[in-house]
Amino acid sequence: MAESRYRAEQGADIIVQPLDDVTLIYHRRSGQTHIVVSPVPEILAALAEGEADVPAILTRLARDYDLDDPGEARAGIAAHLDELVSLGLVTRI
Amino acid sequence: MKHRIMLRIGPASFRIGSAWRQPIADLARLYAAYPQPVDGVADFTVRLEPTRPWRRFIRPSVFIGGDHMLADAAPMALAHGLLAAEMGMNMQMALGWRRHVLLHASCVEKDGKALVMTGESGSGKSTLAAQLGERGWRLMGDEFALLEPETGGVFAFPRLVSLKNQAIGVMQREAPEGRFGPLMRDTPKGDIRHLAPGAEAVARMDEGAMPALLLFPRFGFAPDIREVGQGEAFMRLTQASTNYVTLGEAGFSALTRFVTGVPARAIDFDSGETAIGMIDRLWAELA
Amino acid sequence: MSGALLVAVLRNPAEAADLVPAEWNALIAAARAERLIGTLAVLLQDIAVPTSISPILTDARGEAEREKRQALWEADRAAAAMASCGVPVILLKGTAYAAAGLRAGEGRFIGDLDILVPRDRLADVEAAILGAGWEWVKPDPYDDDYYRRWMHELPPMIHKERDRMIDIHHTVLPLTARQTPDAAAMIANAIAIGHGLHMLSAEDRICHAAAHLIADGDLAGGLRNLWDIHCLCGEAAAVDEGFFLSLFERAAAHGLTDPVWRALRLAHRLYATPVTAYRSPISVDYSLRGGDRFFIARLLARDGWGRESRKLLRFAFFVRSHWLRMPPMMLARHLWTKWRKGHRPA
Repeated sequence: MAESRYRAEQGADIIVQPLDDVTLIYHRRSGQTHIVVSPVPEILAALAEGEADVPAILTRLARDYDLDDPGEARAGIAAHLDELVSLGLVTRI
Repeated sequence: MKHRIMLRIGPASFRIGSAWRQPIADLARLYAAYPQPVDGVADFTVRLEPTRPWRRFIRPSVFIGGDHMLADAAPMALAHGLLAAEMGMNMQMALGWRRHVLLHASCVEKDGKALVMTGESGSGKSTLAAQLGERGWRLMGDEFALLEPETGGVFAFPRLVSLKNQAIGVMQREAPEGRFGPLMRDTPKGDIRHLAPGAEAVARMDEGAMPALLLFPRFGFAPDIREVGQGEAFMRLTQASTNYVTLGEAGFSALTRFVTGVPARAIDFDSGETAIGMIDRLWAELA
Repeated sequence: MSGALLVAVLRNPAEAADLVPAEWNALIAAARAERLIGTLAVLLQDIAVPTSISPILTDARGEAEREKRQALWEADRAAAAMASCGVPVILLKGTAYAAAGLRAGEGRFIGDLDILVPRDRLADVEAAILGAGWEWVKPDPYDDDYYRRWMHELPPMIHKERDRMIDIHHTVLPLTARQTPDAAAMIANAIAIGHGLHMLSAEDRICHAAAHLIADGDLAGGLRNLWDIHCLCGEAAAVDEGFFLSLFERAAAHGLTDPVWRALRLAHRLYATPVTAYRSPISVDYSLRGGDRFFIARLLARDGWGRESRKLLRFAFFVRSHWLRMPPMMLARHLWTKWRKGHRPA
């Protein structure tokens, strides 16, 4: 089965505001505020470079972060992407 | 409507109509020092009306209406008419105000800087603000603090302070009898007595202040002070705001600016004197 | 009467320049009560108003913008949810006007998301929507049974995170109503408006709005619904000279000639809607007819404090609205069940 590809909401539709303990995401189209913690902001930043599937996101993240277990990271990313899709911050294409 | 009054409280103005004389007479006495709306045009209409036409005479029961209403708001006894009028005004603000982020918080000012206190009812924030208002601080409001998105400043909404149960006795020792409203027993919230803010609070109601300290008080616990992270402060402020979602991006920017710029502490206390001591210390240290 | 004042200012916004403070207070209260404050604020944008009125109108425009953004997001979410079942999302009422950029959507209060789906695909749509986070509002079996047997829409559902309602219609009027508009034809003639969304044709939009205003409703909020019809007519007629002919043709096909005609007469009288009279092939004029005056009295029943006046007339319309939707025995059963639970037509 082909990997699903994902697209993040455009940068203009999202305001990302890191606080001292969590990160806030304001989504203009829905008017909703999301309170998230790592690795969600990192996944969104990786997707901001352009549409990608899970392996490509993993590659982008691996450039900047030390991912000790790629299998676990992969499953984690897929689960976070599902949540982001249901919030409308990411579209599955 | 038969009995009516208009008044302005800080930036918001009201037109209040009533089927009965007494609630309007109480408002007229307690709000005597307050200004009239600019041009005679009010931001909001509040109505105190009978639930059924004949209920105006037999067993009077006050239905609180207005521009903004809750469909399931229970009617109140006429003896609690002043409380009904105050609730009607609060309801307009909570559901209809768009010019500021409305925080369910009390607020006092000193040296041009504001102390904002938020918490559930029973947290003591209202009584603390009223007490501070008699002890050298300017009372900006006991129920709502208005946060202006453009400037980050806090504006006053100094309506009558609503004192509940033991707080009535506490404040009767601090403020002169002439500023109190009638004692209303057995309201849905217990005994209630209103207190008109002092002359300075009314005279300077249009003056804003920059927020300098955010406190989350909690009455009835052993004294303690705890730091509150920005994320928790943000979440608690969104929960304390009736119009955060409605204001959209302006609300988001205002609250993120607030929590990243203003130190926040949770304080537990078991008496007003303890709390005021803690506030003085924290204010000297952080504000 | 502030209902009449509101209508006068909507019809001719320049009249606002001469209002005195007491009239402004009455106008604002009536506009809020009729949920026309956003519409009023948009119309008065370029009119000089007292300094105390500007912030009230600015707030109302801001609120309408937010309503619109939220409504479009709900439509987007419904489209995402329904993509899997292949049923097109046909928007009704406010969300359709906003999504298509119609004049009726400017400043309009929107509220729930209303969509129309084919009756034979209802089960698929229901499953897709429930699978995407919406849930039933009322767990009450009597209401549920009532909706499914007699109504034109599913019981309301609400999104558990976003707290917004969706009404899924499968026909235009309740199944018990006298008129039975052809929902399948409306669906067949729907037009795409981009982003996977659709709306009814210009004629069907008015048929739908008129059916709800006249044949279904108790006329609560009627001034707003009539304003929709006024805007829809004006916009359609501006680009199609023969628009009213095709409108009456569609109305006849749906069995909605009377409601549509009455809605046009009322809109013409209250809002000066530019309508076209015909001698042939059909004979249509817009002078008021029997009963229209009661409708107008009901529509304008609002005092200077924003209260509904004329209680008896309102009660008559409440009974009438149920009468139109339900045969009498069913009505009696329905009211009995409601009253036992403490509901009163206040």
